Amino acid sequence: MRARIFAEFLLIALLASAALVGGCGPPEGDLGPLTYRLKWLFNVSVVGDLYAGAEGLFEAEGLQVTVKPGGPEKDAIKELELGHAQFGVASADQVIRALAKGSPVVVIAQIFQQNPLQWIYRPDRNRFETPADFRGKTLGVTFGGNDEAIMRALMATRGLSEQDATLFSVRYDYTPFLEGRVDLWPVYRNAQGVIIEDKLRRAGEAVAFFDPNAAGVRFVANSVITTRALLEQHPRTVQKFLKALLEGWRRAVDPAQAERVLAMIQLHDRDTALPLLRQQLDITRQMVRPTAETVIGRIDAAAWKQTEEIMLTQNLIPAAVNVASSLVSP
Amino acid sequence: MLPKRIYQFVIIYLAALGGLQAIKLVFALSDYVIPSPADLWQTAEAVFSRYLGDALNTLAVAIVGHLLAIVLATVVAIIGRLTNWAGALIKVAAYNLQAYPIVAVAPIIFILLGDGLASRLLIAAMICYFPLLLSFIGIFAEPVVDIEHFYTMTGRMRWQLEVKIRAFENNAKLITVTAGSATLAMVGTIVAEFFGANAGIGYSLRIALYQSDLAKVLVALFLIGIFTSLYLALLERIGVWLQHKLVLPTGGTL
Repeated sequence: MRARIFAEFLLIALLASAALVGGCGPPEGDLGPLTYRLKWLFNVSVVGDLYAGAEGLFEAEGLQVTVKPGGPEKDAIKELELGHAQFGVASADQVIRALAKGSPVVVIAQIFQQNPLQWIYRPDRNRFETPADFRGKTLGVTFGGNDEAIMRALMATRGLSEQDATLFSVRYDYTPFLEGRVDLWPVYRNAQGVIIEDKLRRAGEAVAFFDPNAAGVRFVANSVITTRALLEQHPRTVQKFLKALLEGWRRAVDPAQAERVLAMIQLHDRDTALPLLRQQLDITRQMVRPTAETVIGRIDAAAWKQTEEIMLTQNLIPAAVNVASSLVSP
Repeated sequence: MLPKRIYQFVIIYLAALGGLQAIKLVFALSDYVIPSPADLWQTAEAVFSRYLGDALNTLAVAIVGHLLAIVLATVVAIIGRLTNWAGALIKVAAYNLQAYPIVAVAPIIFILLGDGLASRLLIAAMICYFPLLLSFIGIFAEPVVDIEHFYTMTGRMRWQLEVKIRAFENNAKLITVTAGSATLAMVGTIVAEFFGANAGIGYSLRIALYQSDLAKVLVALFLIGIFTSLYLALLERIGVWLQHKLVLPTGGTL
């Protein structure tokens, strides 16, 4: 009986291994349907990804790509390793944590040149010009999230510790900020930032945003990733994918295409009013292509290095991972 | 009873860990997807004492929430056993409220009560309250005809006596349902902490998930399992003691 169970287990293990090995070595260009797992739900932050899918840019490159929304419980890096997706979007801190644990992930493009994560505040009650102004204030952070790492890095630039300010645990609902219990609240400037700003302006309140970039903390936002194996074994597929994707982003942030792009976003984001979507798109455009010379998808190696240093300083990774070696422009 | 429950849990936990390691090996996954035993051990060393405090905190809230739910369900079920409109209304309300997923209700609770102890207690109590209530209503609404007939015919039946008879005749069911709902209280507390609280093992789990740190999640799950087993064993022990007291009364009348 035991021998039979052992034999069955061995057979299953062999079959699984064979399937795995078989899945690793098809000839170049024979990958079949591809899955691209985003970091978050369909909204303006993924407008270029949606555009590439909706306008048939992947098909034009001979690829069959399904763009799938992300969410709080989705992790593109894990999906890449498990073979559920071939391309994905992950935050820089996710990538660096994964590299620290031996994940074979590589970054092939950085869509946002400027991290959209900022902090909203009421300028009539507080003035936040530099991190020195944080002293004695209540600062919202998502413990465990990348905004916590950014906030701690900001505080460190002025030698502030947790004793100098109160860190408030942030969740999905903005009530503590709306009620004035928290002075600074983290938002994605191009998404929720616009919505909360609109809500408060309607209530007659002024708002402003604190941008970590302006204080010298350039923590990289989401990036496009794949596995090193896919990059090495199917470089042309990766190139085609990236070409289609970056073309999607180029067109999506082209002001001349704005109406077309807005109509497309409306199909996916029905809860946000058109004027707000327009504002969101304008801000997204500035973050993806801050200047006319900016190459869309450019990987900012210096910002990645700073991100790694921040994580190392805060003991979020046990040792340096040399992230530069995993930044690849195919 | 207690060691048996713990052994059972540890065996299941180790089997699950073994399964994960097999998957990691077969699919050549990195420590980011599934932590290696060494990674798991290092993480346990780093976070165990902190998570132990968090798990104890969660258990304490779960126990208080569970007690609240038992008391409330008993009171409401005694009223709900009536066949008049109040009883019918309570039954319908209980069925309908149970149908709402707690994830939809939790944000409202956190907005109204904040992210402190009150929200955690309420959600823990809510999650185990409705299943308890429905079972208690079923038990208290079911007449024990053979016994109750005598008291009714002799004109000695009171509502207190009716409740006592039905509770006595169904004590095994009551104990089983109460013990079974303990896991729901634990789940409810963890869900509450995960969604909005700022303490407890559910809160730590949420942070670990934010950091995609499965090793921390596995350590947290171990502690949750141990404490749930301990609580269940304790309830079962109380149940055995109660049954013993009820079946072998030391004197007096029902």
